[in-house]
Parts: sequence; structure tokens; C-alpha cells
Amino acid sequence: MKLFRLLAAFALAVGVTVAGGDLSPAQDAPKVADKKNKNKNKAKLDPAAPMVVRPVVPLTPIVLPSGPKDAAALARLIDAEVDKALAAATVAPSPLCSDEEFVRRVYLDVTGVIPTGEQAKAFLDSKDGQRREKLIDDLLANPNFGKRLADVWFPKLFPRDSGNRFVLRDPLVKWLTDKFNANTPWNVFVFDLVTATGTVEDNPAVTYFLANRSVDKLTDGISQHFLGIQLQCAQCHNHPFTDWKQTEYWGMAEFFARVQPQNPKNGNKGGDNTKIGVQETAGRTKLKDFFPESAKQVAPKFLGGAEAKIDAGQPARPVLGRWMTAPDNPFFAKAMVNRTWAALFGSGFVNPIDDMHDGNTPSHPALLDAMARDFSRNGFDVKFLYKSVLLSRAYQRTSKPAAGNEKDETLFSHQAVKVMSPEQLFDSLAQSTGLAQQVAAKQAKNPMAKGQPNGPRDQFVQFFLAGAEAFTPTEYEAGIPQALRLMNSKQLVGNPAAVRLYQQNAKDEPRAVLERMYLATLSRRPTAAELTRMTSYVQSAGTQTEGYGDVLWAILNSSEFTMIR
Amino acid sequence: MLNDVTRRKFAQCAALGVGGVGLSGWLDVLAARASAQPAAAAPARRARSIVLLWMDGGPSHKDTFDLKPDSRGAGEFKPVATSAPGVQISEHLPKLAKLMHHGVLVRGMSTPEGAHPRAKYNLHTGYREGQGGLVYPSLGAIAAAELGRPESPLPAFVSVGGRSFGSGFLGPRYQPLMVQDASRGVEDLRATIGESQFGRRMGLLDEMEQAFHGEYRAPLVTDHQTTYQRAVRLMQAREGQAFDLSKEPAASKAKYGTGKFAEGVLMARRLVEVGVPFVEVTLGGWDTHNDVFTRVRNLSAQVDNATSALLDDLRERGLLDSTLVIWMGEFGRTPNINSRGPIPGRDHYPRAWSLAMWGGGLRGGRVVGRTDREGATVEDGKVGTADFLATVCELSGIDYTKKNETPTGRPIQIVDKAKPFTSLVV
Repeated sequence: MKLFRLLAAFALAVGVTVAGGDLSPAQDAPKVADKKNKNKNKAKLDPAAPMVVRPVVPLTPIVLPSGPKDAAALARLIDAEVDKALAAATVAPSPLCSDEEFVRRVYLDVTGVIPTGEQAKAFLDSKDGQRREKLIDDLLANPNFGKRLADVWFPKLFPRDSGNRFVLRDPLVKWLTDKFNANTPWNVFVFDLVTATGTVEDNPAVTYFLANRSVDKLTDGISQHFLGIQLQCAQCHNHPFTDWKQTEYWGMAEFFARVQPQNPKNGNKGGDNTKIGVQETAGRTKLKDFFPESAKQVAPKFLGGAEAKIDAGQPARPVLGRWMTAPDNPFFAKAMVNRTWAALFGSGFVNPIDDMHDGNTPSHPALLDAMARDFSRNGFDVKFLYKSVLLSRAYQRTSKPAAGNEKDETLFSHQAVKVMSPEQLFDSLAQSTGLAQQVAAKQAKNPMAKGQPNGPRDQFVQFFLAGAEAFTPTEYEAGIPQALRLMNSKQLVGNPAAVRLYQQNAKDEPRAVLERMYLATLSRRPTAAELTRMTSYVQSAGTQTEGYGDVLWAILNSSEFTMIR
Repeated sequence: MLNDVTRRKFAQCAALGVGGVGLSGWLDVLAARASAQPAAAAPARRARSIVLLWMDGGPSHKDTFDLKPDSRGAGEFKPVATSAPGVQISEHLPKLAKLMHHGVLVRGMSTPEGAHPRAKYNLHTGYREGQGGLVYPSLGAIAAAELGRPESPLPAFVSVGGRSFGSGFLGPRYQPLMVQDASRGVEDLRATIGESQFGRRMGLLDEMEQAFHGEYRAPLVTDHQTTYQRAVRLMQAREGQAFDLSKEPAASKAKYGTGKFAEGVLMARRLVEVGVPFVEVTLGGWDTHNDVFTRVRNLSAQVDNATSALLDDLRERGLLDSTLVIWMGEFGRTPNINSRGPIPGRDHYPRAWSLAMWGGGLRGGRVVGRTDREGATVEDGKVGTADFLATVCELSGIDYTKKNETPTGRPIQIVDKAKPFTSLVV
């Protein structure tokens, strides 16, 4: 018996789930081996009420004046700077893109999905001289803007690992979507996230801390996502190619040392994970594995700045949040400007986009500085930043290379051809094969229906990410299994009902059917040559429907469909 | 924008001569490839393929390969002699007992993680989950990158019946092809339409690709084309039949036993025969907190039949020396028998446990490491995760000290801080 105790104690020490921690197996969970130990453990994990600290005077982000804004002026500044660099390098820019290129690109970049056939047609047939400007405004006001940005941000804030598999995902997705759609100033957005306190139910932003329950994940993530700095190397050693020292890392980490994220429970076993949340306490967190082995305890210190003075009775995160999101923070505005630029051009002024340091020089330093200054001066207005870039000629250039600029990778002489993200591809396929319409019809019929309308989308996204951490729009990373699925699965591309969206009537003229099909998938009409070729293809097929099915299959598997040109 | 990775891929494609081949030429590509099998350049005594038999849940070492008949938690099973002098294993692995002269037992495994997900991650990648803020490639992805032949129509990493772990920062190129159910083969491998219609569709697609590439000249278009070509080659390749178990004669199928694991191991043999460098086959059910003896007896029978059939078949085909077969899970189980459930079981135990290997140029009959009387502590020859993975690398000619670069340029050694025990087993 003595030996057994010894073993049980050892098992606890190495993190074996004898006592049933959060990582215990879903089935066959062992019962309590040592009650005393478990209770002791529980008392530590449970943030007792008296320990919780609240600010005496709540710190808030600095409110910025928001004067008249002129997106066109900023667009002109962008073009002046980009053109100056092109001229200096004697690289000729490509001409502006056609309306066909523009409409598909801007829908995908801003709302994450291709335009429907009707939307494409309306834009292409418009005689309005301001049609591009108007479309940009419409799309920025479209609720899919928030959805698109939530798709981009969610995987960063909620990395897939075993420790957070029971944490609820939907509340954070909804929080992100709503905040982006409401155009919450970026400093307020980030301050709210970094300082999030309370339960998931009351404040879904706390999900970030529940999904990243260790001080190093929080330090790495916050620095990387919001300051554009890769700090993680400095966790264990002084960073080899930047100035970040190990003490700098742990100075930042110290702001999170008193965060108490609760343990999510297995929802299938009756745990209600809307009721768990995050508090800050007076003492350092004692959660298992919250501090890595390499952890050092130093005074809280702003990255590259001064030590922070924080009373023990005060929460630390608002102090960090206020520093991070202040208009004069050297990293904050630049990081978001660089990210936004990369979202719209495929690559940033600095690449990798979240690895900004002195040795990694921006392609357009003056422009990045100017845009960052403008971003903070304009109250960190994200939609305004988007609009200014979308209005620029640089954004609106064709992605066809022109003579002499084929090799240019950094001067933005022509737009990048980008690969659709898995989310963009799923939503665009669902729309052009009728799945989206079927789901919408079902929901309209029975709006209270429970279930997981996102199930197939999530599966598709995971299948296409294939375990990759992040999606890179300038890399074609789909492999054999993904190509097989697109070619041969009966879902999406292989949906036999899809052809009927375009061949609505057996007597429809080929020209009309093909035009509907091309507009709804490639956002353009077929060229004269394509019309001739596809018409003769359809007429020589076993049946017309089979022929149209073949054409649609080829379009949906093509580079032109899969990519943003 | 052509970054480094793209450029590298592009160069590879160009070197292979597939970059410029139109999709409509897929039959020609196939024919050309079939006649151009590269000569085996690997030195002797080096495994060219690895089969990982993954025992999901953590098998009890004291009830399989490290029996302790005189200990307190000895359990119900009796040790039996094997074809390796002085080496005894469980009575429920009788066929493997006759093959231990081809095998090596590692009884000194001692690893840091005791929770399933983190332990599986650690044993597959050699790193701890979350370490340094990276996602690390699993052994299968490393083998795919180091041993895979780019010209092969088959993927270099196939995982049967389990989720395994992916390629992490090495990128999607080395992701496993997942086969959920061996009897059903690869998902979506067959066209839902006739061959001639499929050919017509590919012809249309090829025309569209040529037109788009002509205008935009983006390397991404070439990458897209190459991937589709590889997928179509897999659909058409003779080697693709390795995934089709209906092609296997009934008699040779029967040797493997019945069930999904048996089918998966059979598929592994078929894949090794056509040169796939890494196949992982999962057998679940080893998390025996309750009813350990009945369950391990049943699982042992499945392992015994399928693994012995695999080893026999590989030997008959002259592939045993070039194929390393590994049997392991994420940890062992407690030396003591618990009494928490109605029927006794054993709990997680990473401190001392066993794994087994066969073939791959190993000098058979060896045992690495020794546990104490209880099977609770490694007394001699302790082997950590990195030590074991580095050994596997050395056995298959992979330089485990090679540094791969992450997308942000961090150099990460394939296996870090390792003391391989290769010299003890070859």
C-alpha cells in the first residue's frame, strides 16, 4: 500500500490524471485516488472571492478625438508613396484592373465570398462613374465584413490544442463578428480583449484567456497579434536577431501573472462552460502549468519601455492595455496597418507580418509610418483604414504583370494573385453550387431549428488547413486529399443540383446558361471564344445537362475560381 | 509574389519536368513515370520504410512485453520464452514470441507526459505541446520530408484508422493522407463518373488552366496544376491499388486476423511494397483503467495476428531489412492494479514502459533498458522520447541533428537533446 501511495504521488507530480485534471480522458476517467490531494488542488484552482482585485478607478483606453476623415486623401498619399518607390526602382506599374477583376477581388477581400451572379452583373452593367467607391462603402457596411475578420482573427486567438478543447468557441466568434461590424475602434477592441474579466456569458472576450491558459501563450500571443512582435524566442534565451532579452520577455509576462482562467469542463458531462471565466487576483496564479519551467519572476515592464508601477491591490492588465493601445505606442498602430495591408495585397510592408523588428526593414518605411500615424489620429478606425487602402490605385491594379514588373515582389507594381482561404473557398463553393441557398431556405422555414449549420464549413476548413497553424494567401498549400475531395466528392462541386441553378429550363439557350454560370462563379461573362468552345462542348456531350455539369466542374476546380486575381 | 518556399517548390516542379506538362497529358506522365523507377540509393542496413503500429491509450507494459511474475501487481498473464534467448513476453503474444529474434524490446522508456493528448503529441513529435509557441512535425511528416520520393504518385505519409499528428511547421506538403477505414480505401479516390467523362472534364480544366496561366503567369497556378496532376496520378496509378484491399487474396488476408486494425496493417504492407516511406496504423482501446486483463488479452490477439503476418509477409518479400516496424503507445500503465472499478484495471504510467521494434536492419533479440522488480522504475538504460526518436531516425538514415526552418526562420532540430541508442541494436 505504501508503494501505491508513492506511485500515486509520483503520478501527480508528472501530471498523470490519477486525480482527474482537465486533461483526463473523456472515457474511463479514473476515480479519485487521493481525496485530500484533490481537494487541496481544487482550492488552488478556484479563485476565491476575497482574492479578486478590482480597479479603484477603472482604467479605460484613451479616447481619441475623431475629426473629419478623408479616405480619398489617404489613398492619394498611399499612391504617391508607392509610385515614388516604383519610379526610384524604374519599375512600371501595371494598369488598373478591369471591373470584372475588381468586383470579385473586393467582395472576397472585404466580405469573404464571391459576388452572386446578380451582384456581379449589377456592378458590371452599372454606368455610375462612382461605382467602385459605392461598392466599397456597401461592402464595408455588409455584415459579412465582421464575419470575414472573425474568420481571420479567431484561429489566432483560439489556437487548436488539447488544453482548450472544452472551451466554447461560438461566444468568441460572435463577439469578434459584432465588434468588427460595429467598427469598434481598434484600441478599444484590443483593450477590452486584453483586460477581459468575468464569465463567458457576460463577457465572451474572456474566452481568449480560457483558450490560452499559460503565461507564455498569453505573452507570445498578445505581442505577436497586437504588437507585431515575435517574442517567444526570448522566453528561453536572448533573442538572436533582435534586442529582446529574456528579462524583457518575463517583464511583459508579469502582467499576466495574476490572471486566473478557470478550468473548462467536458460539456458532454454536464459542465456549463458559459459560467466559467477569468479574474485577476492579488497573488500569483497557482494553476498547474500556467508558468513554464523557464519562467522568471521580474517586475512588470512594458516592452522596450519603463517598468510599470502597479499596486498589489490593482489589476495589472488594464495598465498593460492602456500602454499597448495608447496613440504613441511604437508598435500598436503599425502592427494593424501592416496586417491590413497584407490582407489586401497578400503580403505586408514587413513580412512575416507579425515579425516586426529593426533587422526586418519595411518595404515602404515612410508610408507605414504615415499610415500608422493616420490610423491613431483617426481614432483607430478599422473600416476607414480599409476604405483608404481599397480606394488606392495600388489596390485596384490588375494582377497581370506588365512588361518589366514580372519579378517585382515588394513594390506593389501589380496586385498579387492570392489563394482563397478555406473559409472563402467553402462559402464561395456553397454559394455557386446551391448549398448556401439550401441552408438559408431551411433556416427561413424553421428559424428555431437547433443544430450545427457550421458543421460542414468547420470540417471543410479543418480539412483544407490540414493541421497548418495559419493560412498563407500567397502559397498554394492544398494537397492531394484536398484536390481529390474537390474533384470527386458529391458534396459542393459534385452536388448534382448545382447545374439547375444555371440551366433553369431545358430550352435555355447555351449563351444564357453559360453567362449565368460564369457570372456566378468567375464574376465575368464568358469571352466570345469561350462561348463558342463551351457551346460546342455542351452540344457534343451525351446530354446538355451532362455537358453543363462538366463545364461547371472544370470552372470550380480551376485556378481562376480558387484564386483571387 | 514569389517567396522562398514557393520558389523552392517551383524549382522542384521544374526539375521534375511536371511544371510544364499540361493536365491533358496525365496519361503520358503516368506512363513515363512507371518506366522510370529510380534505383534504390539508400545504403544497406537502412530502413527505407517505417510502419508505426500506434497503440492508442497506452498499453500496459506489465501485461505485454515486460512481465513481472514476482511483483505485487503481477497480473494474470504468464511470461513465455521467445525465439530470442532469455527474452520472455506475454503468453498472449505467441506468434510474436516466435519472431523476437528479428525484434528489439525497449523496456527502458521513461517519458514526461501522463495525459493522453500531451503524451501522444510528445511521442509523435519529440517535443512538448506548446513548447516555444510552435506546432512540431510528427515522425511521419519528418520521414515523409526526408525519405519521400517527390516523383512518387503516392503520398509519403499515410495514417490508417487514427488522427495521428500532422506536419506542423513543415507545411501541408507532408501532411498524412488519412484513411479512416482501410476496407474503404482512400476517400474520394474514385471519380463518381465514367473514365471517359472524367477525361473530358480534365481536358476542359486543362484548357482553362492554360488560358489563366497565360494571362497571369502566377507560380500559384503552376502549384495548383501540379497538385491536381499528383491527385490524378494517384487516381490512375497502379500503385494506387495498394489502397484497395479487395485485390488481396483471401488466404493472405486471413493471416492478419479480422477487424479494422488487421485491415490497416495489411494496407500498411501493401503500401510498403510500393515504396511509401511512412505508414501509421492505430489500434485503440488500450486505456484500460478498468478490466485490464480481458481487454489486453483481446487486444494482444489482434496485435499478435496482424503484426506476425506483417513481419512474415515482409520477410517473404525481402522487405523486412528495409522496413522498421514499431509497436508503441503514449505511455505504460501503473505497475499496481487499481480497485476503483468493478473489474480491476491499471492507470496511466509514463515513468517506465516498453515498446517493440522489428526489422529495419536491427540486430534482433536485444533488449534495451531494464525496469525494477515491480516494473515501476527504469533501473538501467533509461530511454526518453528524444532518444527513441533519434534512434528511429538513425535506423532510417535520417540526420536527426538537421535543422528545419520554421516559416519565421527559426532553426529547429529534427530531434533535440537526444542520446540515441542505435549502437546497441544494430
